[in-house]
Amino acid sequence: MNDIVRAKAAGTSAGAGSVADPVADIALLLEGTYPYVRGGVSSWVHQIITGLPEIKFAVIFIGGERKMYGPAQYQFPPNVTHVETHYLLHQDKPLKPNARKGDRRAFSEMDELHAHMRQSSTMPVEKMTKAFSRLGSAGGISHEDFLYSEASWDYITRQYRERCTEPSFVAYFWAIRAMHAPLFVLADIAAGLPPVRAVHAISTGYAGLLGAMIRLRRNIPFVLTEHGIYTKERKIDLAQATWIQDHNDDVCNTLHDEMGYIRGLWIRFYEQIGRMAYAQASPIVSLYEGNRLRQIADGAAAEKTLVITNGIDLQRYRVAFEKRPEKIPPVLGLIGRVVPIKDIKTFIRTLRMLVNERPDAEGWIAGPEDEDPSYVNECKELASSLGLQNHIRFMGFQNVLEILPQLGLMVLTSISEALPLVVLEAFASGVPCIATDVGSCRELIEGNSEEDRALGAAGSVVFIADPEGTAKAALELLNDTARWHAAQQAGLERVKRYYDDKLMFSSYRNLYVKALDSVTDSAKPVKVA
Amino acid sequence: MGGIGLEIRKMLERDSYWSVLRAYGYAGLVSGGPWVLSILSIMMIGILAVALGVAQREVNAFQICVTYLMATSLIWTGGMQLMFTRFVADRAYASAQAEVLPNLFGVLSITMVGGFLWAAPAIFWFFTGPFFQNLLLLSNFVVLSGAWITLIFLSGMKAYRRIVQTLGKGYLLGIAVALAASPWELNGLLLGVLTGHAYLLFSFLHHIVREYPGSTLLKFDFLNQRRSFYSLFAVGTLYYLAVWVDKFIFWFVPHTSEAVIGPLRASIIYDLPIFLAYLFILPGMAVFLVSMEADFAQQHERFYRAVREGDTLMHIEYRRDRMVYAARQGIYEIFKVQGLTVVLCLLWGRELLHAVGISPLYIHLFYIDVVAVSVQVLLMAILNVLFYLDARREVLIITACFFITNLLFTFATLHLGAETFGYGFAASVTLSAFLSLFILSHKFNRLEYETFMLQN
Repeated sequence: MNDIVRAKAAGTSAGAGSVADPVADIALLLEGTYPYVRGGVSSWVHQIITGLPEIKFAVIFIGGERKMYGPAQYQFPPNVTHVETHYLLHQDKPLKPNARKGDRRAFSEMDELHAHMRQSSTMPVEKMTKAFSRLGSAGGISHEDFLYSEASWDYITRQYRERCTEPSFVAYFWAIRAMHAPLFVLADIAAGLPPVRAVHAISTGYAGLLGAMIRLRRNIPFVLTEHGIYTKERKIDLAQATWIQDHNDDVCNTLHDEMGYIRGLWIRFYEQIGRMAYAQASPIVSLYEGNRLRQIADGAAAEKTLVITNGIDLQRYRVAFEKRPEKIPPVLGLIGRVVPIKDIKTFIRTLRMLVNERPDAEGWIAGPEDEDPSYVNECKELASSLGLQNHIRFMGFQNVLEILPQLGLMVLTSISEALPLVVLEAFASGVPCIATDVGSCRELIEGNSEEDRALGAAGSVVFIADPEGTAKAALELLNDTARWHAAQQAGLERVKRYYDDKLMFSSYRNLYVKALDSVTDSAKPVKVA
Repeated sequence: MGGIGLEIRKMLERDSYWSVLRAYGYAGLVSGGPWVLSILSIMMIGILAVALGVAQREVNAFQICVTYLMATSLIWTGGMQLMFTRFVADRAYASAQAEVLPNLFGVLSITMVGGFLWAAPAIFWFFTGPFFQNLLLLSNFVVLSGAWITLIFLSGMKAYRRIVQTLGKGYLLGIAVALAASPWELNGLLLGVLTGHAYLLFSFLHHIVREYPGSTLLKFDFLNQRRSFYSLFAVGTLYYLAVWVDKFIFWFVPHTSEAVIGPLRASIIYDLPIFLAYLFILPGMAVFLVSMEADFAQQHERFYRAVREGDTLMHIEYRRDRMVYAARQGIYEIFKVQGLTVVLCLLWGRELLHAVGISPLYIHLFYIDVVAVSVQVLLMAILNVLFYLDARREVLIITACFFITNLLFTFATLHLGAETFGYGFAASVTLSAFLSLFILSHKFNRLEYETFMLQN
């Protein structure tokens, strides 16, 4: 009980605006991205920090393991006033197993929490506050209690007996451990974070959960922006994960054997932590309408959601546009990491079909190749087995501004996207796009509102995993100069009108000002639905 | 000890009384062999030497010398025996067989050279006897220390048949040499035992070197703290200290003992009955080997396989129950068989003492000693189960309890008077057995919890 009182007290003092020297205005909670990994989200974060120089940012990076990340890829702008790096799977001081009893009452409270989670209903805030304040604290469940106590063991075995349909207890046991261990690290981060005036998580998942924890602990505003939909991406990962063994043998085929219990457990876990973030965050920002609806379906309150699209610095790409050659180069460019989610193989197959008609066509794959080396190999082998050695170039990470003027078309074969910045960059540089119908790609290419659609199509939308259709669309654009130029104009106009980064900056500036005002203006805590 | 278990199970499967008897006889010989063979051969040497005309006083001195040599060498090497056995098992598990032989030479050099370094000054300082006699005592001690190490190593290799055969030959050789050299009296008898033990040491070594590959000659990895368990060293030392401490007390308290040779004293009232009683642990040891090493070991292996290979929790618990059942069954069997032995000794003890020519005055001490050593077999069996469960801390507690209580209780009996002699040892071993039973039961109840939650 004491801890809750203390947590509340800390929260109120923060909420009352009497924060003792905050290290920053906004703490950005970043999972596995900025500043260590290049990519859409990271460059967006860098863009926001640079674009809002009057706001002081704290960068809180959360990674899996230290060895998965190299040196920082970005130089922090001067308004980054505080940086923390944490690793969920790494412990600076490894714990030593020692037998202990553990607090049975705390574990039965956890039982209640889990029961709520299973019903997928929204949980009373007090319950959640209580649960999180007990996490890692002396009066509740410490990390050691969770790992080594008898109470914890009894709890885990009881849950297994009641629910798990899987044969292997070892697998279940380790899944539960792996699932919960990061929560204790997050609780530590939440407790140790120096004062900030608001937090802004750039995804749900662990970053979102951390945001919810900090909000419950300190009662400061918690803004959430989602680029992709974390839960959905985790589901895709989990469906393919080979580290989970499903026991779907022929002997015990049951009705629900499409997915193993443990795989399902992980998916529910990510759904639940996403839901917790939604419950505590306000506002909940998405990049386009489709994702906003998805957030509502996943449990976000509709009135808290809003869309702020990405924007880019048009001036920068003006240069690329001016460098373009007269003739349309027969070059298809795929700018992105070489990973399965980008479906590079469909791009390669597309090129095979295109080259049959246009032997002068080329495909350039420009993006980092270090994330999934075996996939990179498969792609390269596919390319050579299709006889495309002279038509395909794996270029690795490239400066977009230098690549874009040399492309005839920008092609995105991804099976999942949010609002891909590369499409905006291509438009601004005068390159039409062909993209799969994922994320906001259709909105980008064909337009969103009535007015937007009137600008015309800036390329083509194709099906997922459809090399034939993609090749056909590419051929139509490359062979029909008039159509190509119309698409180029549509793209240039659309990006200028709707995706200028000045629009995005002013949206976020307003959003931050509102959040920070709610802290300084009133002594009463922010109301959360 | 999977090998012996398999062999015995095969014998038992023939399912005739004769095969059962043979199985248990074999098991008894294997498990209690070294201990019983050495007692028997020392007694034999004594009896035959007297018959050949060696003075009784000299024979007594010889037997006391050998007893002290056994006690001190066991205490000196006990820690190393356990620690090194574990080291070898871990190396074998890690498929690093080639590291074993050089480390064996490492252990041998530490125990033998180290033993020489402290025993030589001690012997030459305290014994005022002739130089040659002191030299014999010293070499006996050093050779015996080495022999224990090689013996425990061969047990680890499961070469039981080899051990029993070699022991038989070694002690026969020892007896023969002792008798041939009996004209030199004490020195001759000591030379005989030295020859026997030296034969054991070298033929064990011969066998090991032939069977084990080795890359280098000498290594001391077993002292490496990351690879070894010093708690096992403490356990081994404490166990032998516990087993011998009551004897030492009786030897060095003036009114229960008398000086025999040099600084060595003996307790005529205390020694004979207890050594005689130790001959009666054979039935229990045989059952111990069959039920523990065969049945329990098998169930233990199945339990951990279920854990490792990802069975359901229910099946893991079932395996745990089977293992607990095997352990309980084994302890119960030992209890039955040793109980029967105790009953038979109570019935025929008097006649037995009479037959070997020991005064019936010793009868009560003999009775209580038989009970005590029988409980000691039980204690050993439980400790063995705890070793299987890798409960090093618990075993350390039990052996420490055994040592301390034996020390305290034995002193108490000295104050309480002659009719309580032997009860100190019996009470100590019984208390330790109960403690170990309690700890084992606790351990079994928390086995899955500890296996999963406290692993590193």
